[in-house]
Amino acid sequence: MSHFYHFDTLSLHAGQTVDSDFGARATPIYQTTSYVFPDTDTAASIFNLERGGHAYSRITNPTVAVLEQRIAALEGGPAAVCTASGMAATFCAITAILGQGDHIVASSQMYGGNISLMKNTLPRFGITTTFVDPTDVEGFRAALQDNTRLVYGELIGNPGLDILDLEGVAAICAENHIPFMVDATFNTPYLCRCFDYGVNITIHSVTKWMGGHGSAIGGVVIDGGNFDWGASDKYPTITDDYAPFSGINLWEEFGPGAFAMRIRTEAMRDIGPTMSPMSAFLLLQGIETLSLRMDKHLANTKVMLKYLSDHAQVSWVSHPDLSAHRSHALAKKYLPKGAGSIVSFGVKGGRDAGKAFIENVELVSHLANVGDSKTLIIHPATTTHSRIDAEALVAAGISDDMIRLSVGLEDVADIKADFETGFRAAKKIANP
Amino acid sequence: MYFAVNGKKVFATTGGKPFDNKKPAVIFLHGSGLDHTFWGLHSRFFAFRKYAVLAPDLPGHSHSEGAALTTIEAMADWLHDVVTTLGIDNISLVAHSQGCLIALEFAARYPQQLRTVSFIASGLATPVNPTLIDNAENDPQAAIAMMTSWGFGSAGHMHQGPIPGSSMLGGGQKVMWRNVPDGLATDLKACDTYQNGKVTATKLSGPIQVILGGRDRMAPRKATQELIDHLSGPEVHIIAQSGHMVPLEAPDTCRDLLKTFIFTNNPAT
Repeated sequence: MSHFYHFDTLSLHAGQTVDSDFGARATPIYQTTSYVFPDTDTAASIFNLERGGHAYSRITNPTVAVLEQRIAALEGGPAAVCTASGMAATFCAITAILGQGDHIVASSQMYGGNISLMKNTLPRFGITTTFVDPTDVEGFRAALQDNTRLVYGELIGNPGLDILDLEGVAAICAENHIPFMVDATFNTPYLCRCFDYGVNITIHSVTKWMGGHGSAIGGVVIDGGNFDWGASDKYPTITDDYAPFSGINLWEEFGPGAFAMRIRTEAMRDIGPTMSPMSAFLLLQGIETLSLRMDKHLANTKVMLKYLSDHAQVSWVSHPDLSAHRSHALAKKYLPKGAGSIVSFGVKGGRDAGKAFIENVELVSHLANVGDSKTLIIHPATTTHSRIDAEALVAAGISDDMIRLSVGLEDVADIKADFETGFRAAKKIANP
Repeated sequence: MYFAVNGKKVFATTGGKPFDNKKPAVIFLHGSGLDHTFWGLHSRFFAFRKYAVLAPDLPGHSHSEGAALTTIEAMADWLHDVVTTLGIDNISLVAHSQGCLIALEFAARYPQQLRTVSFIASGLATPVNPTLIDNAENDPQAAIAMMTSWGFGSAGHMHQGPIPGSSMLGGGQKVMWRNVPDGLATDLKACDTYQNGKVTATKLSGPIQVILGGRDRMAPRKATQELIDHLSGPEVHIIAQSGHMVPLEAPDTCRDLLKTFIFTNNPAT
């Protein structure tokens, strides 16, 4: 009776209007700062949010808008705002609703940048955070304070890979009228649409799997449109009149897209962490093949999990798809296609053996990124999470010997062959 | 703003300006299962151009209290109570879908204050698929899927948005979720049983405008032609690429048509 376009179709087409001037099939790169207004009335009405349209590319841009609408479609939200990076997205999303004296309850297993933001930077603006074990759902409830205005987590914790019980945490948030924001970078909407489980806002570093090619930095905030901001007076940035736009009331005017509009009208205008049109174009090319790439990521990951689990030089392997992983049941529930392509493992011989392994692989790249089409490895304790203290490292599930593997799209036989080279070097350290 | 009608709290957006009943009022009436946000790209425009704007949530919808009203006639009477409560004596009525049926009935019953009527995407009656009504009561997700699948044209299905970064389909679905099962199901049953359109349409006088979507599957051309045939000399516009959700799918064209019509026939000074 009803028909909607499916994920793969939306990945290719959503958000795009075919260019009316020349019929360009690809989304054009509108590399322009500004836009000619047809008349003064139209100009005034765009500035006053009476109508849609573009005025200045710091706020909106046609190429970026296609990417925003495409991601909103894939996630199932009414609106999205792209930013210059994933961290910019996180900062903009948090500060859209929190200010001096407000409090966050967040998972302790998150990307080091997220932890640093909440532990070091946001307190300078009067926003404090209590970190809790993501495997302890009731811990989120216990950490709530009267001034808690946000619960934050990652579905697949980085790099410990524990799975957050979305429905469990969402229920606690709903009971307490607090929005639930999830960094969904590691799962992408292809593996899990978090809004289906009660999440209210999602964040992505689209630099990673969404773009996939390691060619553009970007972030996005997606408004789930499913939080009743007006049910209390706790979120005045959404529900009170906003003086800079002629006293517009975003909740009243935009309803389910009010949160995204707050980011658009405040963060993009007053702070300006704008995604470039060129980056948006590159990221759109990546999203066109998101499902194909994710399937290959998962297939290669499955092979690598068996390879690593069976390898004599590997002391341990962690991935939620392994039955021994403590989040295995949650992974099957929320990520039935597979729990992503990040694998953590330890090399026998400890830190020095791990170092030898990393320095002797050739095909696999040693760098600070994940979700590239190419296979990547890194030692989190000395790189991505090096700026957090020892206690937080333990809380984040990071051991000294942990190597984080981001499984790419190469022929998996070549990845294994490269790993053999690394393991031979590691063995010499472990068994001199 | 909030105000009370018959002891129940009513919400209406005023387009970002305080409501001033000394100005000509543009009253926007939403369709089944929707609310005031449907008019966001129109209400603010008129409010900032010397009109008093009122886009209410019908009772039992989003921010308005009370049970949803069960008949179109009751909705027209409720609208009259709103007009009386706020002391409005000069009205341009802009209505979409179910709102058009309310507008027909209101115009026939209470023509005194009415200056212009704009009908968007409607016929004289709105017979509703029984499966849709059943789903609205028992399987809201399926009902919303049916409504939005049929309601939006190609731009909506491709998640384009009148505001950069927004998906009109996603937004429409979220608004409907606010109003299920009661609001949506009651609305649909009220539409389905309303039979008075042929009588009321002939009673209308004054400037009348009809705006249609060329790809509207919920108000097909045959039904909309019946409305046009029963009205007295309406100006008719068909926006070729739009589906049923004309104010969202073709906001600039729709707004320009409303602007020209209302500015000409009910000018604000």
